[in-house]
Amino acid sequence: MPEQIRHICGISGGKDSSALAVYLKDRVPEMEYFFCDTGAELPETYEFLTRLEVILAKPIALLNADRGFDHWFEIFRGALPSPQMRWCTKNMKIKPLEKWIGDDPAISYVAIRSDEANRKGYVSTKPNIESRFPFVEDNIDHAGVMQILDDAGIGLPAYYEWRTRSGCYFCFYQRKAEWIGLADHHPDLFERAVAIEQKVLQDAGVNGDADFSKQAMKSRQYTWSGGETLVQLRARRDEILERHEAAIARTASARPNLPLVDALADVLDEDDDTQPCTVCAL
Amino acid sequence: MAVLADLISVEERFARSSNLERDASRTEPLDGYVVTARALDMIQRIATAATSGPSGSAWSLTGPYGSGKSSLALLLDAAFGPSGEAREAAMGLLNSKSDVGQAVGFAHAQCQTEKRGFHRGLVTSSREPLTYTILRALYTAIRRSYGKTPSIRSFPAARVLRQALEDAEASIGNPHRIGPSPSGLLEVAHCLASDGPLLLIFDEFGKNLEAVADKAATGGTDTDPYLLQQLAEAGQGHGLPIFILTLQHQSFDDYLSSVDAPKRREWAKVQGRFEDVAYVESPAQTRALIGSVFTVNDEKVQNRIQRWSRPQAQAMQSLGVSDLADPSLVASCWPLHPITAVVLSELCRRYGQHERTLFSFLTGQVVTGANGFLAKTNLPSRGPLPVMGLDTVYDYFVGNGGLTSMSAASSSRWIEITTRLRDAHGLSDHQLRVAKAVAMLNLISNSGTIRASAHVVELIEPDASLVLDDLCDIGIITYRSFSDEYRIWQGTDIDIRSLLEEARIQTQRHGILEVMSSMPEPQPIVAARHSAKHDCLRVFCQRYVSCDDKADPLEAFSPYDGQVLLVVDGDQPPPLVNMPSGEAKPTIAAIPQSENINSVVAAARELTALKKVLQNPMVKADWVARHELSERLAVSQIIYDHTMCNAFTGSSCRWLLLDGDTEKELQAGRGSSVLSDAAERAYPSTPAIPNETINRTHLTSQGAKARRILIEAMLEHGSEPSLGLKGNGPEVAIYKATLAHTQLHVPNKSTGQMVFTAPTGGKAAQRLQSAWKMLEAAFKQAKCRKVNLNDIIASLQSPPLGMKAGVVPVIIVASLLAHRDVIAIYEHGTFKPQLTSDMAERMVKNPGFFEIKHFANTTGARQQVIDAIADRLEVRPSFRQHRVVNVLAVVSHLVSQVNRLDNYTLRTRNLPEVARKARETLVTAVEPDELLFNALPKALGFRAVSANTKTYTKARAYANSVGEALEILAGCFSNLLGNLCDLLLEESGETSRLAVVGQAAALKNEVLNPTVRAFVLALANDSLPPPNMDWIKAIAMVVVGKAPAEWTDDDLARFRHIMPEHIAAFHRLVALYAERRAGGGGPFDALRITITQPDGSELARLVGIDQNNRQALEQVLDDILKKLSDVTGSQRRAEHALLALLGERMLSIKRTEEGTGAIEANLQQVKEAQIA
Repeated sequence: MPEQIRHICGISGGKDSSALAVYLKDRVPEMEYFFCDTGAELPETYEFLTRLEVILAKPIALLNADRGFDHWFEIFRGALPSPQMRWCTKNMKIKPLEKWIGDDPAISYVAIRSDEANRKGYVSTKPNIESRFPFVEDNIDHAGVMQILDDAGIGLPAYYEWRTRSGCYFCFYQRKAEWIGLADHHPDLFERAVAIEQKVLQDAGVNGDADFSKQAMKSRQYTWSGGETLVQLRARRDEILERHEAAIARTASARPNLPLVDALADVLDEDDDTQPCTVCAL
Repeated sequence: MAVLADLISVEERFARSSNLERDASRTEPLDGYVVTARALDMIQRIATAATSGPSGSAWSLTGPYGSGKSSLALLLDAAFGPSGEAREAAMGLLNSKSDVGQAVGFAHAQCQTEKRGFHRGLVTSSREPLTYTILRALYTAIRRSYGKTPSIRSFPAARVLRQALEDAEASIGNPHRIGPSPSGLLEVAHCLASDGPLLLIFDEFGKNLEAVADKAATGGTDTDPYLLQQLAEAGQGHGLPIFILTLQHQSFDDYLSSVDAPKRREWAKVQGRFEDVAYVESPAQTRALIGSVFTVNDEKVQNRIQRWSRPQAQAMQSLGVSDLADPSLVASCWPLHPITAVVLSELCRRYGQHERTLFSFLTGQVVTGANGFLAKTNLPSRGPLPVMGLDTVYDYFVGNGGLTSMSAASSSRWIEITTRLRDAHGLSDHQLRVAKAVAMLNLISNSGTIRASAHVVELIEPDASLVLDDLCDIGIITYRSFSDEYRIWQGTDIDIRSLLEEARIQTQRHGILEVMSSMPEPQPIVAARHSAKHDCLRVFCQRYVSCDDKADPLEAFSPYDGQVLLVVDGDQPPPLVNMPSGEAKPTIAAIPQSENINSVVAAARELTALKKVLQNPMVKADWVARHELSERLAVSQIIYDHTMCNAFTGSSCRWLLLDGDTEKELQAGRGSSVLSDAAERAYPSTPAIPNETINRTHLTSQGAKARRILIEAMLEHGSEPSLGLKGNGPEVAIYKATLAHTQLHVPNKSTGQMVFTAPTGGKAAQRLQSAWKMLEAAFKQAKCRKVNLNDIIASLQSPPLGMKAGVVPVIIVASLLAHRDVIAIYEHGTFKPQLTSDMAERMVKNPGFFEIKHFANTTGARQQVIDAIADRLEVRPSFRQHRVVNVLAVVSHLVSQVNRLDNYTLRTRNLPEVARKARETLVTAVEPDELLFNALPKALGFRAVSANTKTYTKARAYANSVGEALEILAGCFSNLLGNLCDLLLEESGETSRLAVVGQAAALKNEVLNPTVRAFVLALANDSLPPPNMDWIKAIAMVVVGKAPAEWTDDDLARFRHIMPEHIAAFHRLVALYAERRAGGGGPFDALRITITQPDGSELARLVGIDQNNRQALEQVLDDILKKLSDVTGSQRRAEHALLALLGERMLSIKRTEEGTGAIEANLQQVKEAQIA
């Protein structure tokens, strides 16, 4: 008997992968959906996933639910991930994913749109996984994606108002305006990120916070956002927002009638010279 | 023109090294031997001693390599040997130089040995015990005197000799045999000496002494120096004629510097029996030797040499080289320039092997040597005599690599100078010669008159002053005005000496401890014997302390098993304070002898001073000074290490085991035996874990990985044999060592399934008993209060167990699994119903974040309650067969039930009170026992279950109430969905989902407003199988914009409000679609007009405009509006009036039709769709 081929579709919590999941719902009935849960996602993401589950009428497999960021933060005793030391992607996304897939032959559906065919998502190097790009094959672009989400009645995750990407609330690929967005929308998570920046995990000690500042990166000041601590960044709130709005206006005037979600993406991409976490963001 | 080689004959001397065994009794080695003053002196001493009486004497001759010691031994052997060729050759040499030959003759006459000579034992020592060497010497003497091993008749001690030889033979390669007995050897020597004078010569005696040092280092016990002392004493006073001569490179003490003090003192005593003779030629003597090498036979040339030598001698006198102020000596040195002779003798002394190197240069057949110079240099018939300058010396020693023994300190200058000259290109011959002369002078210069001053260089290289300036300009050499000297090496103007002196004074101001604390931390030491015996590496750290300070014991989590306090001042240990309540890791004080510690401190001060000077900015900027200081630093470091080693080893200091107020003297032994003794006392109950991957403090990354895999297997495959581990990886080895051999993981006797249990049975299990008992005691303690895991680990790692940090987590996890029924685990203060592998990973890293609590309560009222609830909820055991009757199983079940609930159920108030209260209690509970026996019964209207009561009559009722509450909670969400479905069907006026789906499906392909479209598509979704839960979930989500699982009661209210509007809109669309279909579906623009009456009833009409008439109709409309505008006053009002009138008319039609009265019309235009 030939081996059963698994069909898998990763959901990041962003619009493209969600649209792909909906798009393939009836086309690939045996599809398995998964979400790499870092345990540090925004509440909006979890809320959006429950919406998506309703539409898909299937549970989305939460990978890594038992070993989230807090787990690794404790294991590494306060060593924080950074673009140079991106253990978060490796430990919380790629490893559990590859473990979940195992050695089964599988087809992975990747949500790269026809209008961004140059972008690279997580394309497995494992030989048993074949990648497919349905949006590219079926010529579905940004408008198509929005149509799919509208038709399904799930719309966009609520964080799209102030942030363009899914992922951990403290993702170091966030732009400064997005950090301000976090501070405005989730002051508690922002405070948690501030504490983590100082190598302190809130409520994780035996009675209270767990402080790893003596163990991790001794005497080296790590900052989530380049060049300043989150506290310093928050102090510059007005300045950052002003520049951000100016950038939105600039973009909007260049392309009239641009929906906010796109204007925001363009603005935030302006200073984006890094390749973000493709597993997280796609 | 003749070359010099034709005129000068060169005596070949000293050119090779001697081998006593090979060269003894031969005349060839004596050919060309230059009898130096020192050699004559030595022979004179022996001859005098032999002449003056019946007794003998002992000498220890110390001289550097290549100074001719072995040749002297051969000369002695020949001079005191039997008459024959060898003795004649020797006497010839002695008589030609002095009257020492005569003295030797007297000695022979006195001892009546003119014919047969002395008994002579001539040996080269090797790294062997002294007894072997002496036996060889005696045996050689006997063989040479008797020609064979003599019979007992001719040699009374023959039997003893044979025994000694046999013993020596037998002990080769057998460390348990001790070799020839010293008393036997003494008897042989006595026997031999009573027959005739005995001369024993030990060449390379240093080798014997090195063997002594080796033995001491490896802990050997023999090498008793007493034999040598007895031999020496036997020849002294009125004893036997025994003459002993040892030849070595340095004094006894230098060889034995690494040996402990008592042993060294014994050897010092032995050396006291010997007369010390230094065997070093002075530079003047060496130069006299040089003079004896060259012989000029041509008288004319001799005259020219005489004339040349006079001004040279004067110049040497002005330079203060007094021996070369004698023109005849200068003449004898020719063709060497006198300065060349001075430099050469100094060079060989400082960088080479003395006379051996000197004569290699003078007489060797190397083209760059003196012979080469003679062969290629012509002697002009008139004009100045050619002389061998320093350039020849330079070429020989650099080109030939002629220098072999160079200390690190001197080699660096050598390398620096030669590298600089090698890299200088484009110099003329003259420039190069001058540069080489400067180089050679630099090498031997210690200031003084023979240095590279313009005057001296001019002497050896005429017309040098201009060239020196040129070389300065080029940058090959520099002129150092403070020393009036040209230097080819960069040199430094920094006065290192005074800087160092100043730094030394500064370090004197610091206290001893301060100085010692600035030294690098002393290395930790392994308690070797204990470690090997117990399969457990015990490492002690060391630190310096003052006896005035207070010392803390090591904390339990220290990676070390004990500490050694090196007391650097005083003879008392420091008081130990802050002793823990339990047992502390052992602390040992090492109190060295004061003279030893003084030398350590002195070495440390020197080291500190050097480091300080190296930090001086001036020194930092001057690489030459830096270089020199670095070298001195390295040497100082070696001295420091050495003194440390002497002060704090074995018997050289007192060892005290400290324990709070008491102290106990430990018996000093070899190596780390003191530490092993302390470890034996401290750690009598160490479990034996014979696996060094895990039984260590810091695991390797592979070890840590294996431990992680093992713990994961313990948690997830505990019931399988070998935990389901396959192969022979490290995790399997660790499993065997920690769990299998110790019988922690064994099959259950009744079920056969593997379980974790207390260790029983074999030896390994026995040795784990103490640790297990300690764990059980800690668990028992946890009945009263939560116990932090760190406290338990501290006890395991402290005496008397002293387990290693690597293995502790495995044993703890095993014990937690063995007690899983009764021990609860808390992480970050939160109860964890199960020990999962990710928790275990965190536990290994940060055990301090975990606590345990023991609340097994298997008796009385509480048990009744647990039984009842377990029964009611049908709690099943996880993998064991017996009934689960404990709190944990029940609470875990409750918690997992609550965790499964969706957010709606967790938030809604639409629940019976009992379920709501149960939910609140379950969600907020922190302590399982508090929840089960107090909070939950109270919430459900029962009284708390006291720990002390025997029975609880309401147990069944309480359990039922819990069960009901859970059932209500579990069914809450599906109830919600059922209600939603009912509401929808009711509103749509349909009785089945199928009807709704059918209507909606017809609209699926129409282009609709996004909100309506999403709703219609959700209604039309027929892909979801019955029951209707998934279907209604999607519809509800589209309506409210939120998944029902995330709803609050407000969301439900919103659904109730909005859903009818959506259904109404849906109905309108259905109607619109149906009418359009009925109307033939031709091309027309259609509008659906709905007019709502105050009672909510509506009138709906689909009105269309035929495209063909459109233009005409709009023309008429414009006319009407124009007319109406004239009446109403504005275009907009006209439009409104028209619309109202039309509506009224249409409504009146409806009223007529339905016979109902409504006066006020609410006009609503809905552009529902545009059908194209």
